[in-house]
Amino acid sequence: MYTYNIFNDMIKLRTIFDDFFDQKPGYEASREFPPVQIKEADDRITIKALVPGISTENIDIQLVDDSLVISGVKKDDYENHPYIRKERLFGEFKKTIRLPYRVKHDEIKADLANGVLTINLSKSEDAKPKKIDIN
Amino acid sequence: MMTEANSKNITENRRVFQTPLADIYETDDIYSVKLEMPGVTKENLNVIIDDDELKITAESSIEENESDLKYADFYPKNFSRTFRVGNDIDRNKIDAKLDNGILTLTLQKSEEIKPKKITVNQVN
Repeated sequence: MYTYNIFNDMIKLRTIFDDFFDQKPGYEASREFPPVQIKEADDRITIKALVPGISTENIDIQLVDDSLVISGVKKDDYENHPYIRKERLFGEFKKTIRLPYRVKHDEIKADLANGVLTINLSKSEDAKPKKIDIN
Repeated sequence: MMTEANSKNITENRRVFQTPLADIYETDDIYSVKLEMPGVTKENLNVIIDDDELKITAESSIEENESDLKYADFYPKNFSRTFRVGNDIDRNKIDAKLDNGILTLTLQKSEEIKPKKITVNQVN
């Protein structure tokens, strides 16, 4: 059983100051939501977006020209109780990602797992170089 | 209860860990802590209560492959956050639930500190 000791707090004062200046959330709140990661290899693009607490019906993915648009709403889950701490952010979001080349429309796969949205895209045939024979 | 505490070796962990964002509310019976931890699975999550510290650590399951990376707003980092808890928590009744990147911890307040109504007996 833990017993409260005021001296523990006094010793920890310095680390409290250090934390204030050093502890940062995983991504900057001022940045666009959702934070994404784009990987490209072998004519495939993989986009990962961090969307914790957002269900599939609240995320909309669209392909517009050669851009991928991720939009949706992050609904708050506040309960009707006094809050001690409120750090999480909620609201509507929209992010457009310009793709480096045209992609196959019928081969787009999106999965949501553990708050991470993974979108797999593959290069369209007409975006690949084509050798033309000379007669 | 529920002030931010500090890990003792924070200087060495500082660059490795990221702090998950948290919402905390209180009712007569519980404290509820919701933390945003995208990419964390049940298997690589640890919630430990030790003395006055409630420590939540998790390894990110997002794999690292720098060579293919073209753009990144975030990098896979492990999560770590420590809260200070007081005597008002029942240590044996802490419930943790992980759902779609959100960890919800429910800390039951101990029976002794709950407000109790005392019945008055009429003596005649």
